[in-house]
Amino acid sequence: MFYRLSGVYRVNYVSDGRMFKVPADRNLAVVFLFLGLAAPFIVPSLYLNSYMLPWLIWTAAALGLNLVTGWAGQLHLGYAAVMAVGAYSAIHAARFGLPWEIALVIGGLASSVIGSLFAFAALRVKGLYLALTTLAMQFVMDWVLTHSPAISGGSHASLQAPTLELLGQEIVSDTGYYYVAFGWCVLVTIFMLNLKRTGLGRALVAVREKDYAAAILGVNSFYYKILAFATSSFIAGVSGALLVATFFFLAAPEQFSVNVSIQVLAMVIIGGLASVIGSYFGVALILLVPGLVNGVVTSASQALGMQVNVETLAHIPNAVYGALIVVILLIEPLGLGKLYGNIRDYLMVWPFDQLRK
Amino acid sequence: MDWVFLTELAINGALTGLLYSLFAIGIVLIYKASSVPNLAQGGLTMLGAYVVLALSHDAGLPLWLAIPLAAVIMFGLGFGIERVALRRLAGRPVVMILMLTLGLDIFLRGMTLAVWGGTSRSVELGVSYEPFFLGDIFVSRIHLVGAGVALALFAAFMVFFRSRTGIKLRAIADDYMASWSVGISVERGVGLSWALASVVAVAAGVIWGEIQGVDQALSLLLLKGLTVAVLGGLDSILGAIIAGIILGIVENVGADFLDPLVGGGSRELIVAAVLILTVMIRPHGLFGRHDIERV
Amino acid sequence: MSIQNKSDAQPILSMNSVEVLYDNVIMAVKGVSVQVPKGSMVALLGSNGAGKSTTLKAISGLLKAERGRISRGEIKFEGEDITEMLAQHRVEMGICHVIEGRRVFEHLTPDENLTAAAPKGMSRSKLNTEKERIYNHFPRLAERRNSASGYLSGGEQQMLAIGRALVTQPSLLMLDEPSLGLAPFLVDEIFGIIKRISTEDGMSVLLVEQNALAALEIVSEGYLIENGRVVMHGTAEALKSNSDIQEFYLGGGEETDFHNVKHYSRRKRWLS
Repeated sequence: MFYRLSGVYRVNYVSDGRMFKVPADRNLAVVFLFLGLAAPFIVPSLYLNSYMLPWLIWTAAALGLNLVTGWAGQLHLGYAAVMAVGAYSAIHAARFGLPWEIALVIGGLASSVIGSLFAFAALRVKGLYLALTTLAMQFVMDWVLTHSPAISGGSHASLQAPTLELLGQEIVSDTGYYYVAFGWCVLVTIFMLNLKRTGLGRALVAVREKDYAAAILGVNSFYYKILAFATSSFIAGVSGALLVATFFFLAAPEQFSVNVSIQVLAMVIIGGLASVIGSYFGVALILLVPGLVNGVVTSASQALGMQVNVETLAHIPNAVYGALIVVILLIEPLGLGKLYGNIRDYLMVWPFDQLRK
Repeated sequence: MDWVFLTELAINGALTGLLYSLFAIGIVLIYKASSVPNLAQGGLTMLGAYVVLALSHDAGLPLWLAIPLAAVIMFGLGFGIERVALRRLAGRPVVMILMLTLGLDIFLRGMTLAVWGGTSRSVELGVSYEPFFLGDIFVSRIHLVGAGVALALFAAFMVFFRSRTGIKLRAIADDYMASWSVGISVERGVGLSWALASVVAVAAGVIWGEIQGVDQALSLLLLKGLTVAVLGGLDSILGAIIAGIILGIVENVGADFLDPLVGGGSRELIVAAVLILTVMIRPHGLFGRHDIERV
Repeated sequence: MSIQNKSDAQPILSMNSVEVLYDNVIMAVKGVSVQVPKGSMVALLGSNGAGKSTTLKAISGLLKAERGRISRGEIKFEGEDITEMLAQHRVEMGICHVIEGRRVFEHLTPDENLTAAAPKGMSRSKLNTEKERIYNHFPRLAERRNSASGYLSGGEQQMLAIGRALVTQPSLLMLDEPSLGLAPFLVDEIFGIIKRISTEDGMSVLLVEQNALAALEIVSEGYLIENGRVVMHGTAEALKSNSDIQEFYLGGGEETDFHNVKHYSRRKRWLS
């Protein structure tokens, strides 16, 4: 009922190829776009900065990983390392005096180059073995970062990002940071929404489903795998750079450690492979829920007058984060995006759902 | 070139490597019995060590009682993991199972630390820290004990996988559907493999806990354990032992050469390089099964 | 005495209007009733996707592995309702299903394949005599008992799959397309062995086949399944002489008249 559509009414290829197949989806997207634009005026700046902003940037990053893992079907456990390459290259370029616009592109391109190295592993193995190789590559990158002061910024292993300046505007306010993140996330989202409508997207799906069958149909799986890794790495690089420029302000190797790689993969899988809206949900859940639970535990223990160990409190978010991954996978292995789809499909015909049976 | 020193490096490396094998056996066991990559072995190992500590230090049981009791508890937990988590995902793509075991790992680690705290503690096995000399070569006693445990487990599992139950587990890894069709309880088999891996985790946790203290660093052995498992072939117990020895030697000797060049800390780099090279050159490892493809 | 007679007359397996749903939506079997008399051989015939394999899986309990379930009807084995029973308990009761596509345990040797199927509590010596019996039936397997099963030829793998099922001591053996992809002489050999085991041990056999000609040679009665329904049932002789069966499944019958080709589907008049 809410979706005002009680069946599939597409009668030609043009309508079947639309970005939003359900009009209500498009309307929802527009509403959220406006909400996103208006957020700085609605949301208190503390929340804007510590929740909304990382959510948007991580979503952009997760969408990049979703391109490789969800669409092209290649497991990637070294995504944080690729983000690190982008972040460090961009910041070094900016510190060198290049304008930020160019620095960001340099970061993205540097990530693409390194990310394509991961693709060479993908040309040889897949599945579990690819996951392990990329994991090992993550460790190598970590090692290089922490062991080369020239990159990581000397003995303190931290690198100050210069003030962000885009289109001649110095960005220093919370609102400004937010809009940069918002703009980037929207850009990536539009790209990903369009992906399945393009030949590239279809080729990637073909490679995912059966690479040699795709090859027989004339899809050059070699080329598309590298392209997928390069594109996703570009997104990773820029997201990494923006993360440091607008959120951390200091780049440090731990921000891109192996745990972060696992976290981004968790966001993608919890959200749903090859689901754009799912990535938003997945990131929100993984990023926000552990913190929320901690808050709840703290206040609950205070209310009950119990003394909770500081250490216990410090580790509960981690336990919750792990449990969250397990539980969501058990409830719906196809992720939150699929859950959303189920609810939407139900509401599309509600209250006349008996018509479907 | 100092040969005595090099031999000492190699022998100690091999002993450390056998301890990696101890860890890797847990991964191999589960892969061999269900074709599931077990990335939760780090969390299990940590939990195993903490359960032993809880029983011995907190509950005051003697170690000879605490360790078997912990093994029994972990055995039950392994079955529980299959019942609660893996059963529902059987037959799903490897991405999801990988993520599931990673989530399990994170959960076990978080839970363990939330319950028992992150301060490093020692198991106090009572193995003397007195150096032990083989001729001119210095060997650590606890490493010898650990290597002995690894070899004992190896022998036990070699026998086990030739027994009727062991053959049934290998059958499950080959084909779930065919196993069901001849009346093998796949669920029980997979549960048993997790239970055994959890018991192995107790052994690994105690030995490693004695060497480097029981804390969250225990779960960082995962990369080394995985490398050993892959190098040996994910489904070969013999492979895990031999690959452990190889990796231990390569790591110890290699680090000795590389450390002065790169300013220390090259062990992780060597391990990662071994993993990458193995997968690139010989994904099925030294002794792993090829997937038989008949045309 | 009369009770004895009654149980003799009772079929070893009876399926009453069973419906099977996959994923809660797709109905693959729409009310199939099949009886297998004790000690006899029965064939399920039909084309691709008719629901033959699903019927077997419903009997053996393997549906669950493919997200299918029995939504209606009941299955009785030796008088006992097994509709909701777990697959492994059905095997213990004596139903064994040789699944389609000779799924042997590839990384195990034939000998280990047989061991893997050993029922709980079978003694070592009993297992060994059992293995010898199977090797006697399939001498080719005996020669290769210690090489990896994945490298056996197609026919040997099929023999191994059947042998593996025999280790579970079935009183009802269900075979899903044992002739698939095998040379005709191998089909004859395997069918001959099955027939012999059935008559020697009094084992009942339920055979799913597309190769109707070969199947009707060895079974005593057959069911024809189309679109998830039983459309014909009769003795092997009756089915063999039925002109429709001859035309559509045996490839014989009247000379092909190409003028009538477009009436082909209409002439399958027992199709709903």
